[in-house]
Amino acid sequence: MTIDPRYFELIQAAIDGEIDAAGKAELETFLAESDEGRAVYEDLATLCQSLDGMPEIDSPPHLRHILLNMAPATSAPRPAPGVWQRIFSGPALGYIGMFAACVALTLALLDSGQISRDAFDDVTGLVGTIANSEFVAPEHGTISVDKSEVAGTVTLRSTGPILIVDFDLSAKQPIRILAEYSDKSIWFNGFAQLESTGTSIAADSGAVTLEMDGKRRYAVYLNNPGQRPATINLRFMVGGELIHEAQLNYGESD
Amino acid sequence: MNEPDDIKLMERCSKGDRQAFETLLVRYEKPVFNAAYRMLNSPDDARDVTQTVFLKVFEHLDQYDPKYRFFSWIYRITLNESINWLKKSNRLDALDGDTADTGGGPEQEASNAQLSEGMQAALMTISPEYRAVIVLKHLLGCSYQEISEVLEIPENKVKSRLYSARQLLQENLTERGLHR
Repeated sequence: MTIDPRYFELIQAAIDGEIDAAGKAELETFLAESDEGRAVYEDLATLCQSLDGMPEIDSPPHLRHILLNMAPATSAPRPAPGVWQRIFSGPALGYIGMFAACVALTLALLDSGQISRDAFDDVTGLVGTIANSEFVAPEHGTISVDKSEVAGTVTLRSTGPILIVDFDLSAKQPIRILAEYSDKSIWFNGFAQLESTGTSIAADSGAVTLEMDGKRRYAVYLNNPGQRPATINLRFMVGGELIHEAQLNYGESD
Repeated sequence: MNEPDDIKLMERCSKGDRQAFETLLVRYEKPVFNAAYRMLNSPDDARDVTQTVFLKVFEHLDQYDPKYRFFSWIYRITLNESINWLKKSNRLDALDGDTADTGGGPEQEASNAQLSEGMQAALMTISPEYRAVIVLKHLLGCSYQEISEVLEIPENKVKSRLYSARQLLQENLTERGLHR
């Protein structure tokens, strides 16, 4: 190419509609005299036309619904609440529930290897923006685990039809937790974790399987539409071997 | 761009006005999703980034400075989040031509759909910084000055990035037989 770089700039500006009158006149003179310049112009114009013609993609139909449920409610933003309050706040649950509702059907069909955990990564950091820090979901029971492989607590909470199984565990090695719920009308509704990695989840009909290692805090959200009494059986396994079993109950003693 | 109106909507949003939020959402959901899609080449990733973008907008409602235009703020978040996403998934490096190729024989590539696919594939071969200027210019219809505002770089740099990005795209498309 023997074209002065100045003309490349003018050609680009002309195609982008960002050329002034003096530049336009200068470019026209140049193009009238330069075959090479005209070829460059046409090439770039063709490329830009193709780029401009790239079709718009429709966003997923449920996306707007999810985004709308993230909207501020009726008040101006509050100071940031405590981290755990964020997770258990009512509006946050609304968001997480709505978000999860849209993925739950998919999750139910997939194993953890197919789930992009990244989709959940921001949940805990994000719920704070819409949190009502005055609300904390009531507890229905806590079990303690005190094994050499894993120790900590699992607490069952609820808000409306949403059951929240709150895991606060520390594992010395990778463990698997199978949470089976007695009522098949209960369905997996979402997952939130304080750490962005370290826990994976797979949902199936009537059960959720979690895999974790290290110190982790996370919550599994279940939708119990009739708010009927329910039992959640927890089985803790290491290397396929059962090391602990426990049960959490909702409804009967409340 | 609807900047005065956007600012009013943002003010109403920060007071908890859901209707104002919905209006902003209707206005920006599709551009944000499309920008993320062109940056990431994955509708699922674009959906997740779009969620993150709007959540970040809510998170920082009180930090929004009306002297800046809303679109430049939300597009900057979109591009930054897309680039973060690429980093997280180790896809920050531009793909080579073979990896980005979406398939199809030379005879099929003449169709518009093929051209569009080929263009997206070519986009994935250039660096995210170059891709961002192309997305802003050709997908979001931003001027040099607006791109400069979104990316917070001088206009001269916008022009040189656009020029380099287009050169690279031309070369890639030529190799694919999609550009003469």
